[in-house]
Amino acid sequence: MRAGVSLKAQHYQPVIEQRPSIGWFEVHPENYMGAGGPPLGYLERIRRDYPISLHSVGTSLGSHLPLDRDHLGALKGLVDRFEPGIVSEHLSWSHGRDWYTHDLLPLRYTEDALNKVVEHVDQVQEALQRKILIENPSTYLQFRDSEMTEQAFLVETARRSGAGLLLDINNVYVSCCNHDWDIEAYLSAIPANLVGEIHLAGHTVQAMSRGTLRLDDHGSAVCDEVWKLYKNCIETLGPVPTLIERDSNIPEFAELLGESIIADQVLTAACSKYEVAV
Amino acid sequence: MKSLSNLQQAFCDLLRTSDPPPRDLMDELLDDGTALERFNVYRNNFIVLNGDALADMYPTVKRLIGDEAFRSLANLYVRKHPPATRTLLLYGDRFPSFLESIPELSRLPYLPDVARLEFGWTCAYHASDAKVLARDEVASISAETFTRFGLEPHPSMHCIDSDYPLFSIWAANQEDGSEETISLDSGPSRIVIVRPGMEVETREVGEGTFVFLQRLQTGDSIEDAFNLALQTDSAFDLAVFFSHHLFDGTFCALRAC
Repeated sequence: MRAGVSLKAQHYQPVIEQRPSIGWFEVHPENYMGAGGPPLGYLERIRRDYPISLHSVGTSLGSHLPLDRDHLGALKGLVDRFEPGIVSEHLSWSHGRDWYTHDLLPLRYTEDALNKVVEHVDQVQEALQRKILIENPSTYLQFRDSEMTEQAFLVETARRSGAGLLLDINNVYVSCCNHDWDIEAYLSAIPANLVGEIHLAGHTVQAMSRGTLRLDDHGSAVCDEVWKLYKNCIETLGPVPTLIERDSNIPEFAELLGESIIADQVLTAACSKYEVAV
Repeated sequence: MKSLSNLQQAFCDLLRTSDPPPRDLMDELLDDGTALERFNVYRNNFIVLNGDALADMYPTVKRLIGDEAFRSLANLYVRKHPPATRTLLLYGDRFPSFLESIPELSRLPYLPDVARLEFGWTCAYHASDAKVLARDEVASISAETFTRFGLEPHPSMHCIDSDYPLFSIWAANQEDGSEETISLDSGPSRIVIVRPGMEVETREVGEGTFVFLQRLQTGDSIEDAFNLALQTDSAFDLAVFFSHHLFDGTFCALRAC
């Protein structure tokens, strides 16, 4: 089992020319929903040499509004064309009645929100004819009337819909720090059999009038605390496909490759322990 | 407690303003004294994420007015015209007319045209792929009937004209360190953008070529388009034009008219 990295437009050429030794590439399908052109052309070329996963940001699973059938259709088109190993989406919502924020907004963790998310996950899985993974978000605020913890909400979403979970360890760290949640309690609530992918990324720290807030900007290297949590997680969960995620402040490809090699080493050690084929 | 729909609607409507959020929304948030700062992270994300998409679309406009001015215009634009689709690939379609509406920019009258060019470039980048017109497709038609056909331009083609030397302004700003001085009186400019393969091509063309391609785009036959091109530009030479562009990806098919 190998680690993968986010595929960014800046790296199309080096990836095609150098064919780096890397497990797989992940893309946001919304960046490939144009009619044609270089992004689709390059992705097709890269898909010949590597597995691909689709990490959607536009489904808005947690919205009170209905899913967008055109968007789902476009997503299905990409699933059929690129045959991704994994398809995932965030536990969040992102749109108003006639416009889109393009941000991942926080949910109030209540029973009615849970019903809505499960209904939408069912619809997505039905439309795509496959299981998806739901990713835990980074959040910066909490709603007073939430009825359950985020981890309970996530696990219940997966149980009721049959979806798996994408465990973003950076997001767990960011949200737990931001809300003073217990990281151990969060992680131990996630059953190993639900986790189909792990994300690792960097974040920044911003000062507030009282204390600090950690912001998930995917713009820097994975920090030491998150690497430590990752190693502990893999000890507990066993090997899980792991992605080095980067969406801003894109470095040279070699830097992402370097981080993926660290994750590879953790996975290889776990594979020998769990006697999983590498 | 607000319903799920009211809570989400209030939350996202407030992302578009800088007004203090009303009490009834703040009451929904867990507050340790920093709830407003925490809410403002989402406001900032909304402006920055979409503003970054706009900056990616309009690098030349940004370079011409500077990062700071671009950022404040982007803030205004994002609030006024938030994304209307699930992808950001073509976000910013109203930016050229938005720039026209800003009185402070009237001293840069060419700026909306630069934005039109950049929007056309990105449209071409994401446009449908199409096969290039093949020589045997043309060879199968007799010379006499050829001009009665139409020619289908590549679906990525955009024709943009300006009263200002748009091409020179744009080209001078594609590389760092260019100190070229361009006189705004150096006449109009006509630009054709097309992406036959993986590369977007931005070409400055004469008036005849511009009219010819525009007419073909609207469905005219080669003959009719040529006659109109000749009326505006008596020097337009169809044979020279075809020797360069008939099979270079500018066109994808012949069409019976």
